[in-house]
Amino acid sequence: MAVRSRPDGAGRSRSWRWTALTGVALLLLVTIHMVAHHFVVEEIGGLRTYRQVLDYIATPVIFVIEGVFLVVVTVHAMLGLRSVLLDLGMSDRRRRLLDRALVALGIVTVVYGFVLIGVLASRA
Amino acid sequence: MRGSRGGRERDPGVEEILRGRRGEGPISRKAPGPVAWFDVRSMTTGHLAFSIHRITGIGIVFYLYLHLAVLSMLLGGEDAWSGFLELATTPLFLGLDVILVFGLLVHGLNGTRLALVGSGFVADHQKALFWSGMAFGAILLLYAALHVFTAGD
Repeated sequence: MAVRSRPDGAGRSRSWRWTALTGVALLLLVTIHMVAHHFVVEEIGGLRTYRQVLDYIATPVIFVIEGVFLVVVTVHAMLGLRSVLLDLGMSDRRRRLLDRALVALGIVTVVYGFVLIGVLASRA
Repeated sequence: MRGSRGGRERDPGVEEILRGRRGEGPISRKAPGPVAWFDVRSMTTGHLAFSIHRITGIGIVFYLYLHLAVLSMLLGGEDAWSGFLELATTPLFLGLDVILVFGLLVHGLNGTRLALVGSGFVADHQKALFWSGMAFGAILLLYAALHVFTAGD
C-alpha cells in the first residue's frame, strides 16, 4: 500500500489525531489485556499455563478484543516510531520510504499476530 | 515562547505541545535529534515529559516484538511454554515485568496529558496534570509490583 507523505498541515494534524485516538483506545485495551492476563491469574507473576492460554484465547469475545488490541497497538506503535525517526531529520524522499517501510512492518506484524492467536485458538 | 488567553500568561510547555500538533509527527518536536532527550541542562517539566515519553515509547515498541517472540513459544507446545514459565517467574524476570508496567503507566498517563492538552483541554494546567498523573501512576505501580511478586504465594 502506497502512502503519500503530506507535509501540509492537514496531513500532520491527521497523524496527531490518529495517534491520540489509538492512544485513548489503548488505555482501555491495555488495561483489559493486563488485568485479564496478569491480575486475575493466581500463579506467581500472573502467568498462565499452556492450557489456560489456549482456553483464554479460544473464547470468542477475548479473541476479538485481542485482535482489536493487536491492530490498534500496531498502528499506534508505527505512528510513534515514525515520529521518533522524523526527529533524526529526513529528506522528503527518505520520509516517503520510511512511511512505506512502516506500513509494511505494521502489516507484517498484524498478520503474524493474527496467525499466532488463530493457531493457538484452534488448538484449544 | 509565551502566549496568552483571557489575559493570563500561558505556560511555555503548552505552546510547545500545541506547536507540536502543527509540527511534523504526532508528538511535539523538542530538538533536532534524540541527543536532546538526554540533555538535562535546564530541563523543564515539558522537556522531561517529552524525553520520558520518547524513551518509554521506544522501549514499549521493543517489548511489543519481544512479546510476540515469547508468545511464539506457545507454538512449540506445552513443554516449550512450561520451560519459559520457569524462567519468567524468577525474581529477575519479575523485576523486568515491573519495569514494563512502569513504562506503560508513564507512557499512558503522559500520553493522556498530551491528548488533553493538544486537544485544547486543561491547557493551562499541563504541569499539574503531568505530576498528578505520575503520582497516580506511582500508586498503581506499587500495587502492580506487589501483585507480581506475591501472586500465588
